[in-house]
Amino acid sequence: MKNEGAEGEEGARSNTSRRTFLLAGGVTLVAAGVAAAAKLGRAPALLGLGRKSGPRISGGWVNESAAIGHRLRDRAPMPAPRRTVRVPVVIVGGGIAGLSAAWQLDRRGFRDFVLLEMERETGGNARGGENAVSRYPWAAHYVPVPGPRATLARELFRELGVLTDAGWDERTLCFAPQERLFVQGEWQSGLEAELMNSRTGRDELRRFADLIAERRASGEFTIPMALGAPAGSPLDRMSFADWLAANGLRSPAIRWYAEYGTRDDYGALARDTSAWAGVHYYASREAAEQGPLTWPEGNAWIARRLAARVRDRTVTGAPVHRIVRDGTKGWSVRAGDAEYRCEDVIFAAPTFLAPYVIEGARAPGFVYSPWLVANLTLDRRPDERGASPAWDNVLRSDAGLGYVVATHQSLRAREGGPTVWTYYCALANRDPVTERQVLLRSNWSDWVERIMMELEVAHPNIRRCVSHVDIFRIGHAMVRPTVGFLGADARRTREWAPRGIHLAHSDLTGFSLFEEAQYRGVAAADAVLATHQLG
Amino acid sequence: MALPLFLSVLLIAACGLIYELVASALASYLLGDSVTQFSTVIGTYLFAMGVGSWLSRYLSRGLVARFVTIELLVGLVGGFSSTILFLAFAYTGAFRLVLYLLVTVLGIFVGLEIPLLMRILKDRYAFKDVVANVLTFDYLGALAASLAFPILLVPKLGLVRSALLFGMINAAVALWSVWLFRSHLGARRVLGAACVAVLLFLSAGMVSANKLTNLAEDNIYSDEVIFARNTRYQRIVLTAWKDDLRLWLNSHLQFSSRDEYRYHEALVHPGLSARPSARRILVLGGGDGLAVRELLKHPAVESITLVDLDPEMTRLFSTHPTLVGLNQGSLKSAKVHVVNDDAFVWLDQHPDMFDFVVVDFPDPNNYGVGKLYTTAFYRLLSRHLSREGLVVVQATSPLFARQSYWCIAETMKQAGLHTYPYHLYVPSFGEWGFVLASLSDGRYTPPTTLPSGLRYLTVAEVPRMFEFSADMQPVPVEANRLNTQVLVRYYEQEWDRVNR
Repeated sequence: MKNEGAEGEEGARSNTSRRTFLLAGGVTLVAAGVAAAAKLGRAPALLGLGRKSGPRISGGWVNESAAIGHRLRDRAPMPAPRRTVRVPVVIVGGGIAGLSAAWQLDRRGFRDFVLLEMERETGGNARGGENAVSRYPWAAHYVPVPGPRATLARELFRELGVLTDAGWDERTLCFAPQERLFVQGEWQSGLEAELMNSRTGRDELRRFADLIAERRASGEFTIPMALGAPAGSPLDRMSFADWLAANGLRSPAIRWYAEYGTRDDYGALARDTSAWAGVHYYASREAAEQGPLTWPEGNAWIARRLAARVRDRTVTGAPVHRIVRDGTKGWSVRAGDAEYRCEDVIFAAPTFLAPYVIEGARAPGFVYSPWLVANLTLDRRPDERGASPAWDNVLRSDAGLGYVVATHQSLRAREGGPTVWTYYCALANRDPVTERQVLLRSNWSDWVERIMMELEVAHPNIRRCVSHVDIFRIGHAMVRPTVGFLGADARRTREWAPRGIHLAHSDLTGFSLFEEAQYRGVAAADAVLATHQLG
Repeated sequence: MALPLFLSVLLIAACGLIYELVASALASYLLGDSVTQFSTVIGTYLFAMGVGSWLSRYLSRGLVARFVTIELLVGLVGGFSSTILFLAFAYTGAFRLVLYLLVTVLGIFVGLEIPLLMRILKDRYAFKDVVANVLTFDYLGALAASLAFPILLVPKLGLVRSALLFGMINAAVALWSVWLFRSHLGARRVLGAACVAVLLFLSAGMVSANKLTNLAEDNIYSDEVIFARNTRYQRIVLTAWKDDLRLWLNSHLQFSSRDEYRYHEALVHPGLSARPSARRILVLGGGDGLAVRELLKHPAVESITLVDLDPEMTRLFSTHPTLVGLNQGSLKSAKVHVVNDDAFVWLDQHPDMFDFVVVDFPDPNNYGVGKLYTTAFYRLLSRHLSREGLVVVQATSPLFARQSYWCIAETMKQAGLHTYPYHLYVPSFGEWGFVLASLSDGRYTPPTTLPSGLRYLTVAEVPRMFEFSADMQPVPVEANRLNTQVLVRYYEQEWDRVNR
């Protein structure tokens, strides 16, 4: 209630000025403090209060499944089938693509299928976890508000009650403030903050926006991309970094800003990404409503609802190790000690696995970005200065992409208690093979230390607030749209897969996006429905 | 050389007195009881000057250099004295300790000045002339300072900048002395550089003085603090000055006991008196029990559910004798059911229906509280409203925060409510606005009777509250949504303008 004329200070802002003042006025004091702290830091044994002496952080690796993949790669001997199931259609892979294929078959009235998932839980990149504090995502954590052309996504969200005649559900649209950037020693609102602070930055941002607007107007950058992308776009023949340079966007700030997009959506640096894909990140979003759509558990919210619909036809913990011809028309799908004899296979696992699994399949040229996702449980909110906490909190660095706050969509007016942060790091600096090897050999506590050191810059007392860190290392997290990748798309599904095999993974488009996965899954289901005369 | 030297006596005397006045005035401003503050600060200061004079005997060599150094120290400590004191009050619990320590240190330095200066001058002029002139200019300086302080400095510059300005004068005198005695000084380059450094540092303080005052005001109340507690959710402060009791939450004024009846009568009766059959009432926020006091004036009311986040707040207003006197023990009424929960979450988790809802939240000055002013919140709220029910929302000032006020009204409209905006004048807040709303259109006409014993509202006054003068008319605004929170931005911009 109320506010006196002379007292209308906004809490967060006055906090900022308070800190700014202290910084300006107390330079000597701060310098002395820093010097003293440095001395203390060098003598932790003496004083028993070293910098890292916060409470111990528990946790470990989670969702480890690289071993199964490596057995496939190394063609390790697999068990012989002991039982046989006859079913017309088998869906391999229970990520968004596989679940969407199942959704499409099911809602078209075709119920005779089995979905096989390697992990204990379906969802793929859209899995999530839960602890006493909150539910949280394990990878994909949002869907941009689908534009008018993303009809499938809109249909699904209508079914799930997220979209109604009154518009998008307000509790699902990401609450304000959506994004902030830690730069120049404080949090500032919006990822453009650094650019907005200087005249050249604003100029470059405007030119970048103009270039993107021009591209957007071409109608070529759509989600799903199959609706717009021409195979031979000249943009696909150069890297995003070269495109930026060719357009005179050279300052470190604009390069970082533009590259944030490729790191975020493709886990890749601008120089390793097709310019078409780099532009796509910015030009494809048709912002009719301030989004994105998000949930505490990220896209696991969607995956679990899709999975619930076909639970009775889902087998989890069933890694498919071989798909071989069965007679002239059929296929035999082997998972564990079971054999599924079917007419059609929707292959919704990552496509690079196809040659290892499917008789006669090829899949050259795929590059996948490794990622590391950590969920940090915090007992309380750490110190910080600047703009209010946002949903997506990005540090201006070349290491991690920052963190997303799982409790951001809380209705509570005063948020200060425990929370979960999902920290994302695209391992993009070296080539993916090296990064994956390093990632596989690394140990959990080194990663915790690295994450703490990174976050400490923005939250000095973060170590004292974090009680638990679970880390998920994802070797093949995202397909990477390298230069020339998209041009090859049209050939892929037709030439690589034998008859009766329907490739459905989002990596076929080069974009690891919810909408692409859904589109591919549904398209594969439609192809199956057509052959079964039920479309 | 004579006149400049004695003029510098005048200046340093003025500086010395100004610091004393700054410390006294600040102490009375912050702690109240000005007689005590002035007496003790001046007493301590004079005593410390005596200590300084006594100590001056131990300074024997290089008197000019010593004098310059002391001037610089006085300039630094005195110049930043009010800054230090403001910060000490706002951020530490040891304000008095800092105050008297500072006054002592400053007094000792100032006490050293005149004896040193007299000793410097005694070899150059006749001793009787030195004493006469130094003391004359000393007292002249004191007069000038004591007149300038209330007439010019406090009103034009404020305490922070006045002190800084006089700190710069001290440093300037030091620099001037270096120049005057340049032939007698060995380390004149070093001293000169030190003078320039101190001057620059003080000017930097001058430049950022605005920020300081802003941040200090946040934590400072002009009246005597009679209660202060940090709860899990907020800082509750009660101040009193004569018969005026004020409640502050996070430094924002919530009410003044002198005129809160205007606010709370206007909040409750225009709506509730138009629904004489209303039985179930919901109050969101309003842990002070003052709205509940007004609600209880309607005998038909059977139950009042009050949802306030902070248990400390409702406990304080159920137990503190003065406060219970103010809300007439409303929170202890058998009809009242107090819930300590977040309003949004509580509404989301409970199915209860109400005939009249009072929404009395803090102003939307951050994204957290801003959630309680969104379409999503009002949609949820309207699902708890009986068919003929009414809801009233405190909606900031339609005059000072015109966009914010009409944004709240627009938000309620877009949530499907039919709105009836009104306002009144509350002296301690200024022009203040509410928005009344019903589920369907045209369901509100001002009441024809009111409870007896009201001090502000009359039946004739109510319809007048729904008239808005030209400077409070609706302006085009966006509705406030969870994903945009435009209201927080409107509010910040508007109150920034008012406070400038």
